[in-house]
Amino acid sequence: MKSKSVRFPDAAPRVAGTLSKRAATPTRVSRRTQLLKPPIRLLTAVPICDGHDSAINTINLEFIHCGVEVVYLGYHRSARDIVRAATQEDVRAIGLSSYNGGHVEFFTEVVELLKRQGANDIGVFGGGGGTITKADAAIMQKNGVDRIFFAGTPLSEIVKFVKIAYGAHRRAGWRARGETISDPDRRIARMLTAAETGDRDEGAYVRGAPAKGSGPITIGITGPGGAGKTTLIDELVLRFLKASPRTRLAILSHDPSLIGQGALLGDRASMVYSQDDRVFMRSLATRGQAGGLSPASGRCLRLLKRGGFDRMFVETVGIGQEAAPFGGEPVDRVILVMSPDYGSRLQLQKIVMLDVADIVVLNKSDLSGAKTAAVEIEQRLALNGRGQKLIQTVARRHRDTGVDELFRLAIS
Amino acid sequence: MSVLAQVTKAVEGFNRFVEQQVSQARSDSQFGEQLMARWQAARGGLGTVTIPTALKLPRLALPLTDEPGEVARYLYGEGLPGEFPFVNAAYREMYLVNAGAKNTEEPTRLFAGLALAEDTNHRFHYLTRHQKNIRLSTAFDGPTLYGLDSDADGVFGKIGEGGVALDTMEDMERLYAGFPLSGEHFSVSMTINGPAPIILAMYVAAAKRRFGPEVVSTLRGTIQADILKEVQAQNEIIFPIEASLRFLADMVEHTTTHLPRWYPISISGYHIAEAGATPVQQAAYTLSNGFTYVELFRDRGLEVKRFGPRLSFFLDCGLDIEYVALARVCRKLWAIGMRDVFGADPPAQLFKLHTQTSGRSLIAQESKNNLTRTAIELVLACLNATNSCHSNSADEPFTTPSEEYVRLAANSQAILLEESGLFKFMMNTLAGSPGMKIVERAVEEGILVEFREIDRLGGVLPAIDQRYQRSQIQAAAHRYEQQINDGTRPIIGLNRYRDETNAAPAVKVVRTPRRKKQLQVDRLEKFKHRNRARTERALDRLATVVESGGNVFKELIHTVECCSLGQITGRLHECVGRHRPMV
Ligand code: B12
Ligand SMILES: Nc1nc2c(ncn2[C@@H]2O[C@H](COP(=O)(O)OP(=O)(O)OP(=O)(O)O)[C@@H](O)[C@H]2O)c(=O)[nH]1
Ligand SMILES: [Mg+2]
Repeated sequence: MKSKSVRFPDAAPRVAGTLSKRAATPTRVSRRTQLLKPPIRLLTAVPICDGHDSAINTINLEFIHCGVEVVYLGYHRSARDIVRAATQEDVRAIGLSSYNGGHVEFFTEVVELLKRQGANDIGVFGGGGGTITKADAAIMQKNGVDRIFFAGTPLSEIVKFVKIAYGAHRRAGWRARGETISDPDRRIARMLTAAETGDRDEGAYVRGAPAKGSGPITIGITGPGGAGKTTLIDELVLRFLKASPRTRLAILSHDPSLIGQGALLGDRASMVYSQDDRVFMRSLATRGQAGGLSPASGRCLRLLKRGGFDRMFVETVGIGQEAAPFGGEPVDRVILVMSPDYGSRLQLQKIVMLDVADIVVLNKSDLSGAKTAAVEIEQRLALNGRGQKLIQTVARRHRDTGVDELFRLAIS
Repeated sequence: MSVLAQVTKAVEGFNRFVEQQVSQARSDSQFGEQLMARWQAARGGLGTVTIPTALKLPRLALPLTDEPGEVARYLYGEGLPGEFPFVNAAYREMYLVNAGAKNTEEPTRLFAGLALAEDTNHRFHYLTRHQKNIRLSTAFDGPTLYGLDSDADGVFGKIGEGGVALDTMEDMERLYAGFPLSGEHFSVSMTINGPAPIILAMYVAAAKRRFGPEVVSTLRGTIQADILKEVQAQNEIIFPIEASLRFLADMVEHTTTHLPRWYPISISGYHIAEAGATPVQQAAYTLSNGFTYVELFRDRGLEVKRFGPRLSFFLDCGLDIEYVALARVCRKLWAIGMRDVFGADPPAQLFKLHTQTSGRSLIAQESKNNLTRTAIELVLACLNATNSCHSNSADEPFTTPSEEYVRLAANSQAILLEESGLFKFMMNTLAGSPGMKIVERAVEEGILVEFREIDRLGGVLPAIDQRYQRSQIQAAAHRYEQQINDGTRPIIGLNRYRDETNAAPAVKVVRTPRRKKQLQVDRLEKFKHRNRARTERALDRLATVVESGGNVFKELIHTVECCSLGQITGRLHECVGRHRPMV
């Protein structure tokens, strides 16, 4: 199988698709624009045993066009996965699209779990075409769901609702009743929001942040779009969780967006092993900053470092040849993930990260051209004389020995 | 050159060949005369019929031309029914009845599945009570579709919703109880994909238990098992693509030898279209997926000659004008690709088609209008000479169809094919009309454009990796909803002629009661408990076969004797990993 998707110059989107992560050509963020009202962040998902994702995909696209940042968790997701993700991402609300029945139970379960996490300031809304009757909706709303949209609702009406219900201020949840946040993940999540938005109101919760040790080893993972960064992290997470049954991990992941516009934060959807209580993940949109990270990445990283995790991963957006994303950030090891189709040997010379990275991973080494690529990259690294290691992986292959090697070298 | 590029070239070559025949027929009188002789023979080929109103008609309608060029274009370019490239029909005769006949082989195959196995069994018996040819079509519930047991974490609410709950081969025995599985006039279809090999293994094991080992070679039916469209549209793939394709190939290899009457894969465009694809996208992705399977099985050493005739197709039929000719074009492109790229014999050139009317075109507002929509779609499907058909019930937007609406849906087919004179006396009544030919050409061009694009991305599998099909489908779905919102796509009762007084549907919703869900869980627990001494050993054996590259399907027929669906998928996940969903 040959993939032509992965090219370093990331100007072109992977495919014509609207959701391509490389579609955005970010510009530098100015002070003034940082003061813009931060976008609404929502999480959307489809319940367990349900793959009807057409409606939510359409709604996601509409949200993004209307300036909303959508963390998309994908289809066939359990209530626990959804609530965990929503809490960690500290979204304003969860939008669920359910078609395969059992929606009264499922929505109610999500609301109940949110309450139990002390996160009932996170709203729940959704739809499911004609499968959700008016009578069902009445029960669901009584159980704490904000709103159900019936079949045939115009998309604009949904967007309008979201802007009104979740645009202004947080709805009253635990805060209104003067409780404190007992769940540590919830606390960190709230602090990250403060760090990202610079919201003074939210900032109050940064005080009393847990400070534990000097912070975990932080591994930065970067590389061109579609090289396999997310897949690799998910595989490393699997190995880590297996190897050390108690420890916890944090992942900070990035997706591109333009200033004041929406974004699809979709990394969680394709991760399977990272849907685990021992993994804390947060998705950031770059909000107009070029180079692979968001304006808030440094602040968020420093905060997460105090969160009591044992290892941390930072995934950048797909980067171009000249990018060197981790410059000033507190990252301990930098892994550059590449795939065999970077183009000619000449292109290799231009890749700045090949000088900076501690470890270079040649992923997709199942593809044709991997052998040549390995030789060329080895030669390029040898010129640096820094003893940088090249590891060949097939992240997509179950129990890949290359990933095992990377795990031993980089993580443990 | 990728297979798709080869197919594209073959189609272009074929079209040039047809034009050559046309000019030769005009310039070479001897060739022209031969053609005319064939033409005359074809005209009388199916004989004539005197219909109840006393009108006399030929049983096969052909264009009223005696111009050799046009005759050549017809005979070579579209072919008589049952002749290459099968534009008119896969078979020589379809839907025809004798003018005075009472009984026919109906193409009716209605999709059903609800609550527990015994409830669905009851529905099956109800649906087929008047049928000589029993053709069951099975819908499974969410947990089953995802390979989970009914006692899995968080799935209780989904048990028996939207389809039947099935955990063990004992459920399988209950599901088809009372039906003659090896009967000449019995066939069953199962709509399941990710866990398809496990489910079919349960079917085989259950049949063996009831009828003895000899039954296996007589089993007749279809299992969907189309993994590629799962990644693109329906989202029920559970193992990584490579592993899923291997399990599929194991099953195909086994069934072509041991279940020669089984169709081990139904290559489906239905889900692609329902997910929002345009008709051209539906056809292009379905055909390209089909060619990819053929390449895959061939490269694994299976003979096209043997598995080719066991492939079948499943398309959607909606209200867009493309549906006037979509299946006609598909038959042509499939035949050319199979013959010219894969060297297939005629039986493997046939695009054998099951059609379902569009569920997405049916809406909740004034839902009785859905009867009309489905009726129009049925006409379109039959104009395209589909080999079998499912017509949706008017209560489709709400829930598992109620018996009342299922009955109306079945009747709509009978009204079209048995009551109306449109199809039963004469073949090709409307085939080949000018508009149909124009749509055909436009659709074919559109499909070839898609083929070239997928080829440019490296073929179907690399295009999947790059999210090509998914992103195209999603963009089309978004466009479709926008068009409904801005009124450029009129939907009667929704954005036009809306009846506010009659907005809320008065439809009875079918739900599975809690007590039944609990019964399913309890039964499963008993099964697990009863077999606990054998489970681990059977799973270990299965794992060994997976690791050693043996035929997994063959082993599964033993594994299902003492292991549940969820136990088996669980172990297979350990062996091959999980599928990473695509956005
Ligand atoms: C399209 C479709 C499919 C496609 C799905 C493609 C995809 N990737 O999504 C395919 C063909 C694959 C499919 C398969 C199945 N389907 Co289906 N499918 C439908 C269908 C026809 C339309 C649903 C749809 O997407 N509509 C388009 C959307 C945009 O419009 P809408 O539904 O009106 O939604 C609006 C609002 O409700 C709201 N909304 C919806 N979600 C959300 C979420 C949020 C956050 C918000 C704010 C708003 C909102 O916004 C929308 C725009 O106005 C319905 C029947 C119908 N006509 O509705 C059946 C239906 C949902 N399917 C059904 C079933 C049973 C299945 C299967 C289980 C069948 C089987 N046994 O194999 C499988 C399971 C698939 C899976 N993986 O889970 C049943 C469910 C029955 C039940 N719950 O009791 C239905 C009702 C059909 C039926 N009567 O049998 N299906
Ligand atoms: N052939 C092959 N494909 C792989 C491999 N690893 C990942 N992929 C595929 O490459 C595609 C992109 O993988 P991701 O993990 O999303 O890549 P990424 O670098 O995180 O992508 P972005 O975040 O979008 O820049 C997916 O379709 C993966 O299945 C591999 O080792 N071999
Ligand atoms: Mg990624």
